[in-house]
Amino acid sequence: MKTNVTMLNFLTVFNLVVAGVYGFWSYIVDGEIEVIGFAALTMLVFLTGFISFYLAKSAKNFTGPEDDPDANIEDGEAEMGFFAPWSWWPLVLGLGAALCFTALAVGPWLFAIGFSLSIIGLVGFVFEHSRGHHAH
Amino acid sequence: MAQPAKPGKGRIVVDWLTTTDHKKIGYLYLGTSFAYFLIAGVMALLIRAQLAMPGLTIVQTKEQYNQLFTMHGTIMLLMFATPLFAGFANVLMPVQIGAPDVAFPRLNSIAYWFYFWGSFIAVAGFFTPQGAASFGWFAYAPLSNTTFSPGLGGDLWVFGLALSGFGTILGAVNFITTIITMRAPGMTMFRMPIFTWNTLVTSILIIMAFPPLAAALFALGADRKFGAHIYDPENGGAMLWQHLFWFFGHPEVYIIALPFFGIVSEIFPVFSRKPIFGYRTLVYATIAIAALSMTVWAHHMYVTGSVLLPFFAFTTMLIAVPTGVKIFNWIGTLWRGSITFETPMLWSLGFLTTFIFGGLTGVILASPALDFHVSDSYFVVAHFHYVVFGTVVFAMFAGFYFWWPKFTGKMLNERLGKIHFWLLFFGFHITFLIQHWLGVKGMPRRYYTYLEGDGFTWMNQLSTAGSLLLGLSMLPFLWNVWMTSRKGKLVELNDPWGYGRSLEWATASPFPRHNFTSIPRIRSESPAFDLNHPEFASPDAKPQAGKGKK
Repeated sequence: MKTNVTMLNFLTVFNLVVAGVYGFWSYIVDGEIEVIGFAALTMLVFLTGFISFYLAKSAKNFTGPEDDPDANIEDGEAEMGFFAPWSWWPLVLGLGAALCFTALAVGPWLFAIGFSLSIIGLVGFVFEHSRGHHAH
Repeated sequence: MAQPAKPGKGRIVVDWLTTTDHKKIGYLYLGTSFAYFLIAGVMALLIRAQLAMPGLTIVQTKEQYNQLFTMHGTIMLLMFATPLFAGFANVLMPVQIGAPDVAFPRLNSIAYWFYFWGSFIAVAGFFTPQGAASFGWFAYAPLSNTTFSPGLGGDLWVFGLALSGFGTILGAVNFITTIITMRAPGMTMFRMPIFTWNTLVTSILIIMAFPPLAAALFALGADRKFGAHIYDPENGGAMLWQHLFWFFGHPEVYIIALPFFGIVSEIFPVFSRKPIFGYRTLVYATIAIAALSMTVWAHHMYVTGSVLLPFFAFTTMLIAVPTGVKIFNWIGTLWRGSITFETPMLWSLGFLTTFIFGGLTGVILASPALDFHVSDSYFVVAHFHYVVFGTVVFAMFAGFYFWWPKFTGKMLNERLGKIHFWLLFFGFHITFLIQHWLGVKGMPRRYYTYLEGDGFTWMNQLSTAGSLLLGLSMLPFLWNVWMTSRKGKLVELNDPWGYGRSLEWATASPFPRHNFTSIPRIRSESPAFDLNHPEFASPDAKPQAGKGKK
């Protein structure tokens, strides 16, 4: 976890420095900042900074045996979590999204079909393994 | 839910369509992307046939020719190389970190279907009356607007790629989460195999590079379909598109290079019988490449005359340094090793040779003074084929031959593999080496034909002859796959190569459903090697090394 945070912090600082240098350099050469590249680099600073901030925050309740160099396999959780054995919904959702995107190229009539299918797919996906509140 | 003892054909189809198993999804990615590789390869052969002699009309119209090179580029980059990364990463990365699956198995499946349908939509342009997109795979504005490129094919290209791009982003998020949260106990970050490290760094690059592409494509779609004027030249739209596209496009080159660097980094140590030389420097070099690759985009735009030449020339040359570090590490791994030349090793050496050529011409192109003379010529075509083909295709086959026993339980035939390698190696170099000189002599890329008097004829003929050999080299491979599936013997060993290092060599071939029945202790970056060769294991792993085997 610490390694990941360090890596993302490095990327954040690097992007910040590059955005600054690029903005400043284009300003002294052209008399104005080259906005497109400057904006894109600045947004990278937020992206990597945001992820490293989240990881550093959540690291507190989240230090497992995977980062302990002396851990044994049996130190891990016996239960890794729930893994869906199979599911139809990704295919349905993918098909719905495909129809929506095709509709953007072809026409709004197809969007109606694609959007409906996507909603069905989304509901199915979200509630596939739900058994209601408090149920186990 | 419970599998019947002998599944029928329908059951098998349903199994694949609804699978959430990271390995099956990985095989779907590998199979689909390989199919696109063959399709775009046939397009390339048509392009080469058209250029075999001056004045040919093998491709009937110039418009069709434009469609062919546009879709060749699009398919090879976004429907072959990028999903091929997702395929290898899906199958191998969870096993290499000792996880039973990826963090979000159903999201993984969605990512695949987005890629599958998105690619299908983009390629479906061929079935429309005006044909597929024909504005070049980088779709420069204003050429890509409806005035200059009317037709449904272009619209389908825009929205198909957008959908497929979302699939790529979702896949990357899944890989990052899996690597951060699902490593086995003792698998610290600096014990992960290099391939897994490169998967992580590539995925971070994807979430940095693909959102700008999605934004750029939606804006282009708005221009084409909904009357927006985002890329109108009078508003500076031409430069806006080029900046956005290359802000995605250059990292994309590393997105398809880094995982394949990872593959050869797995293979060199196994067949040199030495640990990887400079593990940490390799990791740091990968991170440095990722960071720098976000800062070099406008070296594709030198000839626009409106980018900051010294900045981009400097960063572009700088990125050669970590790349050189990697090459130094690979050679250091080979140095004084007990090298044997099994097929995966042969392909990795083919990668190393080819990639170095491409890297060297890259340094030439990084220098604006030199680039101006050869920009948009066949020199550039030769350069990027050396880089991209050298990396993706050579390392892909290296990976196929290396991990085939893990995928299927059967080893591919070595002799056919070697025939395949040498045919492809010579085919590739005959096709593309000559194109450097063709470019220097002045042949521009993307031209439909040329004149007798241009003096390009013999070079183009040599190149076309090479491409034929390159195309034929696929036959021994396909034959090999077919014969192995029919007659190949099951290996029944965890580690058929004998010196495997990472965790995939400590489980059965092919993999069991959730990857492991038991995981060995992890005390170094090569737990399988520590388990099988305790006498040579790293000092940390020595006390009570492993349970059994040897």
